[in-house]
Amino acid sequence: MPELRDDFRRKDSLPSADAKHPAGGRRPFREQSVSSMDVLPKINSWRQFRALLRKDIVMELRTKEMITSMGLYALLVLVIYYVALSQAGDNFDVGRIAAGLLLLVIVFTSMLGLNRSLVHEQDQGQLEALLLSPVDRPIIFFAKALTNLLFLGLVELVVTPIFLLFFVARSESVQFGPAWMLVLALLVGSIGIAGVGTLLATMSVNTKGKDFVLAVLFIPVMYPLLMAIIAALSAVIAGPLGWQTGYWQMLAVAVGYDVIMLTAAFGLYEFILSV
Amino acid sequence: MQALEVEHLSRVFGARKALDALSFQLPVGAFLSIFGPNGAGKTTLLRVLSTLTPPSRGGTAKVFGYDVVADAVELRSRIGVISHNPLLYPDLTAEENLHFFADLYCIENPQTRIDELLEAVELKHRRLDLVRTFSRGMTQRLSIARALLPHPDILFLDEPYSGLDPHAADILDSLLAQVRDRYTFVMVSHDLDKGLELSSHVLILARGKKVLFEQRGDIDDTQFKQLYRDTVGLGVS
Repeated sequence: MPELRDDFRRKDSLPSADAKHPAGGRRPFREQSVSSMDVLPKINSWRQFRALLRKDIVMELRTKEMITSMGLYALLVLVIYYVALSQAGDNFDVGRIAAGLLLLVIVFTSMLGLNRSLVHEQDQGQLEALLLSPVDRPIIFFAKALTNLLFLGLVELVVTPIFLLFFVARSESVQFGPAWMLVLALLVGSIGIAGVGTLLATMSVNTKGKDFVLAVLFIPVMYPLLMAIIAALSAVIAGPLGWQTGYWQMLAVAVGYDVIMLTAAFGLYEFILSV
Repeated sequence: MQALEVEHLSRVFGARKALDALSFQLPVGAFLSIFGPNGAGKTTLLRVLSTLTPPSRGGTAKVFGYDVVADAVELRSRIGVISHNPLLYPDLTAEENLHFFADLYCIENPQTRIDELLEAVELKHRRLDLVRTFSRGMTQRLSIARALLPHPDILFLDEPYSGLDPHAADILDSLLAQVRDRYTFVMVSHDLDKGLELSSHVLILARGKKVLFEQRGDIDDTQFKQLYRDTVGLGVS
């Protein structure tokens, strides 16, 4: 665009760059005489996605803020479970409510992490910097959601075996299904929690009581997923007769929820960020 | 082509008009200083021009020919923003921050550009240090490097001197002077003397409306300051 470049060199009576300055003595910085018109690179969404993901992981590995707070919180909830259930007496069968208890600790822990993941982007206006860059908003959403899923998965990796070992293994009613079915149910649930949670955390991050707002939005919006995953986990853990049919039905509901909500989040994210 | 073409631009928040039918044009290569009392709409104007806030219906704003709504994605590759907020990640090093933004802007051979900019802002020796260990002035210098990274055509400065000590302000002055010929600038400032010293054009806003838009050469400093004081008395919208 030669017309622009000719215009671009017009100085419009600006003070000279070589004018003596109080901070003089520095080596002058000579920008290349190119405009972004000349060097504008092709946008590569995959490169942007990897950069967003790498940034969050590097920062978390460095600070360990989210993992530490989520892990500690989850372990504290397990301690409270232990105290509460130890008062219930020998006749109380933990196996019947184990799936709900497990998902409860995962949901509460994820809410803590989701809030922190967006607060990271606010301290020094970083979210604004992301929005100023030529990144499609859904790329930001998927990178954030995947990061949240990774961190939530790490916490689940520690918490689930501890929970099953200390609370469920000794229950007489428990008839464990295959471990991979438990992992699959947790994965489908975590994808929904991380995806929808990222969307809701973005909506609430600029509100005054963001922790409260996220909690108020989170449970009602996630209710169908939570019900389906609890039912699927119950089928694996407490497995009554015909449990496999119930497991797959509930998992199908959860997968359907994930697909619908993630598609909606993909479409809505730009609008939510612009509000 | 003009650097900025603003026509009847409005932005409404609820019942409040932050920008009210604003119109002006800025030539390429100019340095526009925007003045006005708190709540006059200065930052809103900058946010609209930098695609962060969409304008309300009716008016248009174009930056280097790109509409801030219809061509927002393309436009974002052509603008740089320096704010009183550094827009950097404190838990990344200076170099990691610039690499991250180089990836977002898909800059080719980013290391060369990063080296060039770190040297320009005199932070090459601190390239591997976390930004959270930087002083306010150093952070602001790195923020300038971040803004210049994609070779933007226009730089938006939102009170860039806010919170800087005199030494850091001098360094910022020096950097701006060194790149002044290369970019078009739009700066929001409360510092009349600084704004007048740097600018080729000035804009005064009050209650979201244009009070004055003039070339710097056509302005008498004393009269301008009196007009500004009168304008500040108008308060916010």
